[in-house]
Amino acid sequence: MRRVVITGLGPVSSIGIGAPAYGEALRAGVNGVSPIACFDSTGFPYFMAGEVHEFQPTELVRRLSVDEWGRTSLFAASAARLAVADAGIDEEELAASRAGSSMGTTGGESQVLERLTGDALERGVHRLDAGLVRQVSSARLSQAVNRELRLTGDAVTLSTACSASNYALGYAYDLIRTGEADYMIAGGADSVGRWSHAGFYRLGALTEKACSPFDKNRSGIITGEGGAALFLESLDSALARGARIHAEVLGYGVNCDANHMVAPLRESIAACMRLAHRNAGVEAADVDYICAHGTGTPANDQVEAGAVVDVFGERPPPISSTKSMLGHTMGAASGLGAIASVLGITGSFLPPTINYSTPDPEMPLIDPVANEARRADVRIAQVNGFAFGGNNAIVMLGRYS
Amino acid sequence: MTATAAQLSAPASSTTPLALAITGFGVLSGAGIGIEALASALAAGHSPTADVSGMFEDPLPRRDAHALVDFRVRDHLGRKGTSFFDRSTSLAMVACEEAFADTDLEVGDASRDRMGITLGTTAGSAKSTSDYSRDTFVQERPYLVNPLLFPNAVMNCAAGQAAIRYGLKGVNATIAGGHLAMLNVLRYSRNLIGCGYADALLAGCVEEFSPQSAWAVHYAQRTDGGRLAPGEGAAVFVVESAAAVRAAGRRPDAEILAVETGVYDPPGADGTFVAGLTSCLARALKRAGVRPDEVTAVATAANGMPRFDEAEEAAVTAVLGAGPERLRVKDLTGEAFSASGAFQLAALLARHRTQPARDGELSVITTLGADGAAGAAVVRGWSRADGDHG
Repeated sequence: MRRVVITGLGPVSSIGIGAPAYGEALRAGVNGVSPIACFDSTGFPYFMAGEVHEFQPTELVRRLSVDEWGRTSLFAASAARLAVADAGIDEEELAASRAGSSMGTTGGESQVLERLTGDALERGVHRLDAGLVRQVSSARLSQAVNRELRLTGDAVTLSTACSASNYALGYAYDLIRTGEADYMIAGGADSVGRWSHAGFYRLGALTEKACSPFDKNRSGIITGEGGAALFLESLDSALARGARIHAEVLGYGVNCDANHMVAPLRESIAACMRLAHRNAGVEAADVDYICAHGTGTPANDQVEAGAVVDVFGERPPPISSTKSMLGHTMGAASGLGAIASVLGITGSFLPPTINYSTPDPEMPLIDPVANEARRADVRIAQVNGFAFGGNNAIVMLGRYS
Repeated sequence: MTATAAQLSAPASSTTPLALAITGFGVLSGAGIGIEALASALAAGHSPTADVSGMFEDPLPRRDAHALVDFRVRDHLGRKGTSFFDRSTSLAMVACEEAFADTDLEVGDASRDRMGITLGTTAGSAKSTSDYSRDTFVQERPYLVNPLLFPNAVMNCAAGQAAIRYGLKGVNATIAGGHLAMLNVLRYSRNLIGCGYADALLAGCVEEFSPQSAWAVHYAQRTDGGRLAPGEGAAVFVVESAAAVRAAGRRPDAEILAVETGVYDPPGADGTFVAGLTSCLARALKRAGVRPDEVTAVATAANGMPRFDEAEEAAVTAVLGAGPERLRVKDLTGEAFSASGAFQLAALLARHRTQPARDGELSVITTLGADGAAGAAVVRGWSRADGDHG
């Protein structure tokens, strides 16, 4: 089996587009949450989201016609472009290689479907835009990546809700390690929408102004959006072309609670962590940082912290949530978490959990890296991703040496 | 009748990837519920559409579809736990139930951690998600949506519900592949089993008939001069390692010898797409260790639109010639996006099930989507002429 390394990073987020900007924002603990602009939030009690206001797809994609692709596909293709540029690989060489993409998502192009729903109410279903109807397929996220970069290999859109990016990273890692592909772009994308904002509100999972994971007074998520892409290749390939190696993918673990559609299960999440460690060949004691799923809902954080203690014991490694800054970017979340972890590995820092004020006595052993980034030697990072349907996926990343 | 050892052994080749065995499946399509309904429709070469004009209050683009008009999940799974299922979840769950009933795989408490689900879709239940949006537009207050229905609006609902029902704690993945979904699912499943993450998977696709999907088919077909009726249903296959199945002395219904996919510019005058599908098909045969003249049938995508069907036929002819029989499954089951790919595979297996003379025959599935995705799979199938599974 080949070793698999990450040589390119492409974040498109509310706190920064591109690895340098994203990394700086993580170090500074920037808050990317702002009043909702992409839909009319009149009548909603809560109206904040982690939108990427600065996203201009025309400035990022070169081959796709932006009128023909939905916002989420354009997040995916733009992130992929950034990752390829960061990897410094020749585009022609890439296009001629065995290369593909796997992208995760929760809602796919559901904001396109939402627009069509609105159009149908307004002017009737007989007068919809056929081009827009075609954009609804979520398969287009990964196909957009392939079409933008002329990749002729796999295009897989994993729609396993909020852990989907970790699924996508895991699959890309396998395709490269088994020799099935030479280069893979993996990550995820999602867009803020009215329907999901309403759904999370009615589920009681939404918070009003700020997401405060692991805080005693945490009260829920803020929906967010963006795209994440990581460029993966074999170690031999990276060495041969003299690429800068950001980090190594050590392995991953995936399991299912098989218990409840929306309530996470502590023992199953702990089992997933152990599975990820075993598959990656690491001991819990070797993990320096956990990039939490950390949604900021009372239940999720309680269960996640509990599972961490079950697996790591009395002195778990620091665990922080980028969702405090980004909001919950859904299918992009663990991809953006993976990029944050890679930047932590290369830059020797831990991204903070912002909006943190009151320790929770129910989770005394948790170090949430409160409010400010911290200098630290990160050799091994664990990226957590949990989802509706009980879908847990955890990716282990390591410093290349 | 028992297939001979010669029929069962795939040709050895250094490029042969892990073969997946299918040891049972369940299918619900417009042709009916169950394997026999699909086999009968294939044999007849025809399956009528149903009158769907009474199914929904919303306007529909046409009165007919290859839909299961009278399908009610409670008739199959009872009322308990099913009352909030949407149609996609219901169809998928019944296909899972049928697949379990059809396989000789033993599911016990010890094996549940090593069993999972990989389910293909296009965008989940577009109706569930769209209804959620509509409620935010038409309710007195925009947030007065039903929280109990929220999981339905998320794409991985069916797979999650199936895991809960059957207690499957292994990998649970949903893949939005549209037309390519079944081939995506097979490649993904092969990786999971080949890399040792799982021993057995329920692998399939689902697509529901709804006003939203009917209009999606209408606009897509109209844009490219097609007349296919919408379809719906699900097909779910129990997949395992072929080598492991044989080592246990069990007999597969089919082997998936190779699956290759790619993305190219959509079918057009430049021929890029035809070359791309040609390459996928040739690659699949090579990796399966199969010669073109060994292929007896091709279950084509048959998207019903000249631009796509001409590109597909050109690629198939370039690799296999005009010889192998073409099975246009969509003529029987309608345009059901992701489920269509699953119906292609189910149709090949349904034919094998009732025709022992075809034991060991090799078939090919070709698939293509409007956005340039293409793929092919090589399948070897067997009957169960002795009436049992093993």
